Amino acid sequence: MTHAHTSQHSTHVSKDALFQGVVIFVLLAFLTAVEFFIAITNASVLLLSVAALLKVGLVVYYYMHVYKLLEDDDEHDHTSFAWKLATNRLGLWLFLLSDAFVFGGMFVARFNLLGFTRPHLNQELGLVVTSALLVSSFFMNRGETQMALGDRKGFLISTSITFLLGLAFLLGVVFVEWPEAIHEGLTVDGSAAGGIFFLMTGMHAFHVLTGLIFLLVILRNGWLGLYTPERHWAVEAAAVYWHFVDVVWIFYYPALYLIGKAI
Amino acid sequence: MSHASTSSSTGSFNRALLFFLIGTLLGLGLGIGLHAAVSGGFNATYLKDIPSWMLGLLVGTLGFFYGLLGYYGIVRGLVFQVIGTLAGILLVTAIRAAMGLPFFDPAKFGFHEGAWVFGALVGAVSFLAGVGALTDWWKWAKGESTPDHHEDVPGWRKYFGVSLDHKVIGIQYTVTSLLLLSVGGLFALLFRVELAESGLQFLTVLTPDQTAALNLYNSLMSLHGIVMIISILLGIAGVINYLVPLLIGAADMAFPRLNAFSFWVAVPAAVILLGSLGLGGFDTGWTGYAPLATRAPIGIQMFYLGVWVAGWSSILGALNLIATVLRMRARGMTAFRMPILVWASVATSIISLTATQLIGLSFQMSMFERLFGMPFFNVAKGGNPILFQHLFWFYSHPAVYVFVLPGLGVISELLPVFARKPLFGYRWVALSSIGIALVGFLVWAHHMFTSGMNEYLRVPFMYSTLLVAVPTGVKFFSWVATLWKGKIEAPTPMLFVLGGIVVFLLGGLSGPPNATVSTDLHLHDTYFIVGHFHSTMFGGYVFPFFAAIYYWFPKATGKRLDETLGKWHFWLMTPAFFVLTLFMMRVGLLGMRRRIADYDPMLGFDPWHLAMTIAAFLIALSVLVFFYNMVKTLRSPVTETGNVWNSRSPEWQVPSPMPAHNYEKEFEVVGEPYDYGLPGSVYVKM
Repeated sequence: MTHAHTSQHSTHVSKDALFQGVVIFVLLAFLTAVEFFIAITNASVLLLSVAALLKVGLVVYYYMHVYKLLEDDDEHDHTSFAWKLATNRLGLWLFLLSDAFVFGGMFVARFNLLGFTRPHLNQELGLVVTSALLVSSFFMNRGETQMALGDRKGFLISTSITFLLGLAFLLGVVFVEWPEAIHEGLTVDGSAAGGIFFLMTGMHAFHVLTGLIFLLVILRNGWLGLYTPERHWAVEAAAVYWHFVDVVWIFYYPALYLIGKAI
Repeated sequence: MSHASTSSSTGSFNRALLFFLIGTLLGLGLGIGLHAAVSGGFNATYLKDIPSWMLGLLVGTLGFFYGLLGYYGIVRGLVFQVIGTLAGILLVTAIRAAMGLPFFDPAKFGFHEGAWVFGALVGAVSFLAGVGALTDWWKWAKGESTPDHHEDVPGWRKYFGVSLDHKVIGIQYTVTSLLLLSVGGLFALLFRVELAESGLQFLTVLTPDQTAALNLYNSLMSLHGIVMIISILLGIAGVINYLVPLLIGAADMAFPRLNAFSFWVAVPAAVILLGSLGLGGFDTGWTGYAPLATRAPIGIQMFYLGVWVAGWSSILGALNLIATVLRMRARGMTAFRMPILVWASVATSIISLTATQLIGLSFQMSMFERLFGMPFFNVAKGGNPILFQHLFWFYSHPAVYVFVLPGLGVISELLPVFARKPLFGYRWVALSSIGIALVGFLVWAHHMFTSGMNEYLRVPFMYSTLLVAVPTGVKFFSWVATLWKGKIEAPTPMLFVLGGIVVFLLGGLSGPPNATVSTDLHLHDTYFIVGHFHSTMFGGYVFPFFAAIYYWFPKATGKRLDETLGKWHFWLMTPAFFVLTLFMMRVGLLGMRRRIADYDPMLGFDPWHLAMTIAAFLIALSVLVFFYNMVKTLRSPVTETGNVWNSRSPEWQVPSPMPAHNYEKEFEVVGEPYDYGLPGSVYVKM
């Protein structure tokens, strides 16, 4: 397999990819609405888990393109772009696997400490910030696809919208949700429930913050025209990382807001 | 290293020693002076100030490297770390002052705990910026490109700055590991002297009063554990970094900058970790259990933070290794033609990559409980101290497989060379490493049989733990069968391999009694556990690590370590270690509690403890012989550039020391790796 062929194989996208992004987003939005509906009716943990896993599956496959890890790659020249791209992808996914263990640990700690009870939180606010993050993933996917199609202006617009939505999520959690929770009596040091709530949302917010910085970097470099449809690994990496942060929230949203009896 | 014998470097070494002395005195004087200024007068007991001595050692170390190198590499890093730490401390102090919160308490190390923690974190990042480990990434973020390879400065200076060459990084790791091994060993000697006789005699001399002596004992015991663990993590990283690219025919690791970062992040981590001794130490042991941890001195924060920072070294190194093995193997090197050491490195990296995050999380949670009052482990506020133990042991048990798997890989790698026979059951041995790693994820709660966790968890964890004996047994079976009817030669590396097998057998056989609930309820927290653990660590890591150094030293330097001194090293260390570990097990069975500074003379343990202390000093002496051997060999003009051990492995088919970019031409794997003694068999075609 030649160099040119491999790189084309790895980055080739058609205009259908933009439409696919829309379809996946509609499915994700529908599943989120279903989750909320389950939560306010029978609050079945099983159904909530199934919905969350379906959402994660959609994001991981269609938005994070996990299948690219398995693409056939015969490249033996370790200085070629194709080889480096495939190796970078592997490295990024290994990092996400590692990072997933931190979030997994907090997830387990939450059930260890609280069991099937949950802190009393503002449901509307939770749904709004969750939606902001979900919509941001849609625009992230759109921006990455536009970059691969050579639409630099579209990339800059979509990525800027992603950034603004991410910022809205971050500010919503830190400057609206946190003060409100503290006002309702869920304080940092008052109970284990407060501790784990602030730990989980805080660690996630920290990842959103790093993702935003990453987005600023690709916006700047994209503005300067440093990326091409064939060579834009940084854009792909930022997108995959951004979706990962969304995946974490797909688990954390039901774990904090929907599962269990409110106390 | 190989150029260390030139006359100009001898000059700078002498200057370095002088600067070390001056720096130590300056730091010590500054510390004692500050103490006197704060308490308004000098008192002779201030000479026993541990914080002042730590400050002295820090400034002395800085002086040493400055004398050696000038303002370059690690010196820049350390200067940045000091400045960064101060900046972080002052920032938090200023914010606290502005908010009207208490920000200075002369009785508790001056600044607030939060200021110290934030300062240490900023210091670690500053170190990395100062040493230059972040430079290329910063350029990438700005959209600039960097050359694939940076050329290293010639000579020994490259070992003290950022290099992207995996061989340089491997040696940096190994030397740092040996340094920390010495520090951790020194701590052990200090508290072993105290234990030589019941009552308190020795540490009371070093400290102003008995409380301080007991606190010092606890801190030394705790730091011995964690410093040795970091030393082991760096040691295996050194062996893996140096060897795996050579064994699989790669020019370097997959991510050379990440590789350099992984090494350099461990240096500020070690500084922070040792800094804990200057901030009151900590009395929890290396496990740092809550709720005791929430009441420990500030030193425990430095312990937590140091481990957390060092954890990134482990995680990112593992990431790099897995990517390297998956992506950079030579033509023809299918999975079942990889050397066993490569299999073992992958197995160890699977654990490091993932489970390390959980010890990081448990330590963060405990740090936050102290800093922000988040009551994760406070039962009165709905917390659960057992949760800490679950998160902690989810890493810290598999961690022992991280420590031993590469060592066991070295044993399997070297045995066929010196028995001149194929490795018995290659595929089984290869898969047994992965098996140990995977089963290792399911055994953590065997540390918690007496903790008060749910009782129904005991039996499943007992069986999963005993299951580890199966893949480990596969390894022993293979080693014995490989030795069977072999033409055994026993130069120093082989001696350490054989010693490792026997010691690890002792460690392995003393394991099941701890894994079995009924016996563990008696053995828990006794010296029996200490003996068992030291046997597994010596057998699985220390012996194979020394074997690897003796074996690959000619590859790295083109010079062979002295055989006579090597045999002295082995024959001093091995019997002394048996005395140490067997006596530990004996007093443990008779009821000696671990982690205590004193014991009842009526128990009759005094002579046993005295013997253990003497044995510990003999082990230290043997390591000094080893260090002397290294220095002597490096200064000697005699070179050994050929295939010293008559090995089939690719790295020995080219002259030593290895050229900067490894193999001039790619080799191809055409046969089985360990077919020693089979006529006509070929492994690699160069």
